[in-house]
Amino acid sequence: MALVTVFRRLALVRLREYTRRSAAVGPSAWLTGQRSFTTGTQTLRSDNKVTIHFINRDGEKITVKGSPGDSLLDVVINEDLDFDGFGACEGTLACSTCHLIFDEDVYKKLGPVTDEEMDMLDLAYGLTDTSRLGCQICLTKSIEGIVARVPESVADIRQSKDGSS
Amino acid sequence: MALLNNFTTACLRNFQGDRLHNQLFFVVRALHKSAASESYGMSTAREEAMAERLITPSDAGVKTAVKTLKDMPGPSTLSNLVEFFWRDGFSRIHEIQMEHCKKFGKIFKSRFGPQLVVSVADRDLVAEVLRAEREAPQRANMESWKEYRDMRGRATGLISAEGEDWLKMRSVLRQLIMRPRDVAVFSDDVNQVVDDLIKRVCILRTQEIDGATVLNVNDLFFKYAMEGVAAILYECRLGCLEDKIPEDTQDYIGALHLMFSSFKTTMYAGAIPKWLRPIIPKPWEEFCHSWDGLFRFSLIHVDKRLSAIKDQLERGEEVKGGLLTHMLVTKEMTLEEIYANVTEMLLAGVDTTSFTLSWATYLLARNPEVQEQIFTEVTKTLGPGVVATADDVSRLPLIRGLVKETLRLFPVLPGNGRITQDDLVVGGYFIPKGTQLALCHFYTSMDDENFPDATDFRPDRWIRKDSTDRVDNFGSIPFGYGIRSCIGRRIAELEMHLALTRLIQKFHIGVSPLTADVRAKTHGLLCPSAPINLQFTDRKN
Ligand code: HEM
Ligand code: FES
Repeated sequence: MALVTVFRRLALVRLREYTRRSAAVGPSAWLTGQRSFTTGTQTLRSDNKVTIHFINRDGEKITVKGSPGDSLLDVVINEDLDFDGFGACEGTLACSTCHLIFDEDVYKKLGPVTDEEMDMLDLAYGLTDTSRLGCQICLTKSIEGIVARVPESVADIRQSKDGSS
Repeated sequence: MALLNNFTTACLRNFQGDRLHNQLFFVVRALHKSAASESYGMSTAREEAMAERLITPSDAGVKTAVKTLKDMPGPSTLSNLVEFFWRDGFSRIHEIQMEHCKKFGKIFKSRFGPQLVVSVADRDLVAEVLRAEREAPQRANMESWKEYRDMRGRATGLISAEGEDWLKMRSVLRQLIMRPRDVAVFSDDVNQVVDDLIKRVCILRTQEIDGATVLNVNDLFFKYAMEGVAAILYECRLGCLEDKIPEDTQDYIGALHLMFSSFKTTMYAGAIPKWLRPIIPKPWEEFCHSWDGLFRFSLIHVDKRLSAIKDQLERGEEVKGGLLTHMLVTKEMTLEEIYANVTEMLLAGVDTTSFTLSWATYLLARNPEVQEQIFTEVTKTLGPGVVATADDVSRLPLIRGLVKETLRLFPVLPGNGRITQDDLVVGGYFIPKGTQLALCHFYTSMDDENFPDATDFRPDRWIRKDSTDRVDNFGSIPFGYGIRSCIGRRIAELEMHLALTRLIQKFHIGVSPLTADVRAKTHGLLCPSAPINLQFTDRKN
């Protein structure tokens, strides 16, 4: 009996889903601090969606909306945006494929960069002074309407692009 | 104690897929001229066939002809054999990497019997290769690991799994232990282990006449690393840093030791064809025996936690816990997968961390000005006697620089491997799908072009002036890069940052007169070739 209730509660919390959803900054680490399986509150999602304009590799502008608290990577995933190879490590700071480029004034609004993000940025292809990792940027009202440019794709050294492996 | 002396392990040797593994594997293959059960890599015939096709790059309109593997320089098969068997190349793999790179350039081929390895020793080419990875990159052939697991009905873990299996587990685990802030949760647990480390230093030095020396610091750091990883993986303490180490822990250390001492023979375990096993049974037996020991230990600890959880549930209590509890309760992986992953993580997480700590303290002792500089940063930032937590590390750039610089000079994995999953053009050469690549990290991190005055120990070379200041660091990627990079990176960093900060706060670390120059040797991993003895003198706070 007890077993059932605990697992039901767990299912509600769905820690993994939860962390994956809010891949960006914020005290949302799994088992934050107390490490209890029965706590963990969802960030309140208001209806005030934030608008983001992405510019893809072909120079096309794609306008989408995301919820505050989501990361730019979450937005790309939720909206099914097809940027080849984007976000390979699912926002865990291991790959730098979620690299995005901003205008200088936007860049300044994006908030501080952690050391770990800077280290991964160093390994990003086509790095600029206003580059950030999309999985580390959280949507807030203050970045409403920003433009995020997806950098040119890696000069592909692959000869077979059929996808078979 | 003696057991732990010079305790390194071959544990990563198979997985690291670096040249050691491949070379050994191939050399043995070559010697036995075996009709290989599984076709590994590419045959000479294929290479020749490749040479016939002249490929031109599809992009950019650059009309340079792409060269083939046939045109690629490299040592001859015979000189390789001599190098490795007659001149004990096995312990000098990192040096041979250097020699070959200097002689043949930044991309060259080596042949070991039928097997070909293409070494890539250029920072930008390494970047190109890693950036071209697909969703489930492969490091090297893991047949022997898989065979053991099949035989015992065990699952594969992250190191030994491939393809879908790997991706499935990796997706679960990376959501738990890859993000820095997820790992910062373990700060207090790790700090408790650091408390014990410091106490241990104080006890050990009283056993020497000068009251300051700790002999063979790697022995100490091995125990620290093991205790630290176990505290996170098993949610329990093992007692490695106690005077009397509990029996099951000792058994485990024994199993690791067996892996180590039978390093070369267990290496052959994977290389000797099955049909030869009745004639040469020992390597395979020892290989299985050490794995049995490693798995047994994990089973004990995982099962203990599992029954504790069941008890709590039966009593209707709330289940609280850390990583293991989370995995057991959410059941995103099967129990067998959990056993396999904690086993492989413990294996991968101990020597790597302890060697790096040994080298870091060695370098500090040999460079007192650098040590003073870091000591000043730590005391100024934290205030005297304050214990740092994960959150403080961002304010201690020199501590981070110390770890990066140590791993640049002594990358625990001096080389890494990839089996190509596409036809690639690398450095102007056409490299067919299925080729074993060796990425020469040791060479790139010692290359003056990448790091000016590369032999100097300068943690401050990693300091940024501001957040747009870039340190172009593909030359030194000690944890790898991308989706198959080290999953324990953040755990290892936390353990090393907290331990080093505290050691530097507490002690002045000096070289013992017993220790002269210690060189690195390769024994699966890059490890000290002689015991590092250091003096720990109290700082006046
Ligand atoms: C100084 C410490 C460490 C270093 C330098 C290190 C380095 C590495 C490297 C270079 C790889 C290969 C990556 C690649 O192929 O791209 C690797 C893989 C791995 N490491 Fe570490 N490691 C360290 C500590 C740890 C710790 C503490 C753990 C466990 C908690 C760990 C677990 C693993 C695992 C499981 C893999 C295989 C990952 C996979 O194939 O998906 N490592 N490590
Ligand atoms: S998705 Fe890999 S670092 Fe952002």
